[in-house]
Amino acid sequence: MKSLRAALSEGLIAYAFLAPALLILVIGLVYPLFTTVQMSFLDYQMGTPWESREWVGIRWFEKLWSDPNVWKSFWVTLRYGFWVVLIEMIVGTGLALALERAIRGASFFRTALIMPLMVSPIVVGLIWRYLFDARTGMINHYLGAWFGIDPVPWLADPHIALTSLIITDVWQWTPFIFIIVLAGLQAIPKEVIEASTIDGANWWQMTFLVKLPMIKSVLIVALLMRIVDVYKVVEVVFILTEGGPGLETELLALHVYKTAFLSQNLGYASAISMLLLAIVTVLSLFVLSFSNPMKTKSDF
Amino acid sequence: MNHFTKSAGQAAAAALGALALLATSAVADPYQKYRGTEIVVSWPSLAHFQIAEELIPEFTAQTGIRVETDPLQYGKLRDKQLLEMGKPQGDYDVVAWVVFWKTEYVQKGLLTPLSEMFANPALVDPAYDIADITPAYLENGGKVGGPQGYLAGPSAGLYGIPFSAQTTMMAYRKDLLEKHDLAVPTTYEELLAASRLVHEKEGIGGLTGRAQSGHQANDFFLTHYGPTGGVILDDNYRPVLNNPDAVRTVEMLTEFVKVGPPGMTAYGYGDMVNSFVQGDAAFYLDASKIRKTVEDESKSRVAGMVGYALHPTINGNCGSGTGGFAMGIPGNSQNKEAAFLFIQWMTNKATDRKLAEMGGDPIRTSTMNDPELQATFEDYPVLVEQLKCARADWRPLIPEFPEIDAQIIGISVSEAITGQKSAQQALDEANAKIEALLTEKGYYAWQ
Repeated sequence: MKSLRAALSEGLIAYAFLAPALLILVIGLVYPLFTTVQMSFLDYQMGTPWESREWVGIRWFEKLWSDPNVWKSFWVTLRYGFWVVLIEMIVGTGLALALERAIRGASFFRTALIMPLMVSPIVVGLIWRYLFDARTGMINHYLGAWFGIDPVPWLADPHIALTSLIITDVWQWTPFIFIIVLAGLQAIPKEVIEASTIDGANWWQMTFLVKLPMIKSVLIVALLMRIVDVYKVVEVVFILTEGGPGLETELLALHVYKTAFLSQNLGYASAISMLLLAIVTVLSLFVLSFSNPMKTKSDF
Repeated sequence: MNHFTKSAGQAAAAALGALALLATSAVADPYQKYRGTEIVVSWPSLAHFQIAEELIPEFTAQTGIRVETDPLQYGKLRDKQLLEMGKPQGDYDVVAWVVFWKTEYVQKGLLTPLSEMFANPALVDPAYDIADITPAYLENGGKVGGPQGYLAGPSAGLYGIPFSAQTTMMAYRKDLLEKHDLAVPTTYEELLAASRLVHEKEGIGGLTGRAQSGHQANDFFLTHYGPTGGVILDDNYRPVLNNPDAVRTVEMLTEFVKVGPPGMTAYGYGDMVNSFVQGDAAFYLDASKIRKTVEDESKSRVAGMVGYALHPTINGNCGSGTGGFAMGIPGNSQNKEAAFLFIQWMTNKATDRKLAEMGGDPIRTSTMNDPELQATFEDYPVLVEQLKCARADWRPLIPEFPEIDAQIIGISVSEAITGQKSAQQALDEANAKIEALLTEKGYYAWQ
């Protein structure tokens, strides 16, 4: 049995090792979060002394509740998030299943598929802005040359603009799901696959009754990371549409940016950020309710 | 002989010394006190400022004042300037602002009144001639505190000197107008008719414009609402945006969009200019600085095919407004006098002319009226004529304007011209939002 002193010193050593990580967490996460909460109860404008801030109670939350632009943006964000995550999960998982086997050119496709991930969001926005350009874009050029279709205003038509954004996000982030799911699939013990083959499982049964259930935690983590990420998108939308036409593509994160820096209303922007945080938290908890990989160590 | 030579030499040396002394006292050096000073200038990374940057070595050679510039993308400029000017001791000595930030900067106490400098004869160049700076530009970029808070008047103070200021004018394809036997449009009715005809016969856009949701759409609206003589706020700051003229303007813009280049409702300024210089639109009606891009054969397919004309009118009303940038001195600058000397040098007659020759945007009447420049630059005679009636009050430059611009009107106009709402509904909503915002900000405390 350890003496009290030894136990204490062991505890202190553990805390000493944890301290740098905790410090970074406090500086990088807790402090900004605390400031956001604090700001959401203040009226403060950039360029004025901090002492001039004014306590406004829940005024920004009341305004938020009755602001049609915020709620329009809220629904746009939910629609965008739903389609983006759904398509990326299905396509990313499908590609991983297709390319996990030793087929000809698999390594080339794997490399090619992850390339969009390496491109910075600003560049992604610019690439797709040029591709979608109604006047000179390559997409309209080929649609016209091959099918005789008149120029499509991809970013200018309120009925199509959000779809254009979804296409862009799917292009960039499907590879993320692909990589994670592929890693999960390749970690499945060979014995399990062999056993199910011997038992006569066909491809369908192998995929949906063996492989995917076995990588459930991996899928949940991938889904969670995309949900958290997709609600923070600003740069690509800013470059492609700046939220328009009207508010048809104004995601909540972009709305927060505009409220903070165009309207100079940091308090109100913080209150909207709290709404965004609430959405992400609720959705994340919902996903985790199916399976929490942080509770179960491993699927294998 | 030797004695004589020595005496003559001494006399000559004494005379030379006296001459040198005389010369020193006669050629005073107003920059003496500031030689070795270093100033930091915050301005946008735009063409005019890039040209101005080329002249900085000349300024330093003349004055001994070293200049460090911090060119930023236009969209990032305001945040950075506000952060710097809000500190007790900032890094910037000169800031260039978009004209619709001026009232906010002054209201927050961030700028130095230029009267502090103009009251000091040791600083002001007697040849500076501020009256030569186009009055509409000076009012628009530099005057704050007059009627409505942003116009010139008895209570207004001068906080900045225009730099890269502009008005609006029309550019048109001479070849297409000739081909279809069209006169240069002088009214909006003629412009719309010509746009429809060119669209139908040539398969290209008529009038191009920047109509992306937000600031661009509002600018698109205000550029064409201006000629009605309409305003957004009345004299009591009450919004009057849902008036019949404004509704008709939005409906007219919807017609222009139908016969414009494809995807116009997603265009920013660059897209609009590109559509014109690439030959996809017959008319351009926006900022007056288009000529340089049009005539640059490396960027333009229409060089030599473009004419310039006055902004078309509505019921005979002059169509143009004023905009662009102005330069001033932050209240927390540590080198205010050297900063003033820099602004004064950059906007004096000689530099203004030099900037114009290099392709920059002149601010002085003397530069725009220069016969040599008028003969070289086809748009200058139009520019001079246009500025005679350009209005500084075509948009309300109150501190809340950036929000009204990009977050309210810019969105409503975009919704209307893309068919999501009727013009009346969109403007009614915008009007209500502006009133709510200004109520919250205390604009009606005296009413």
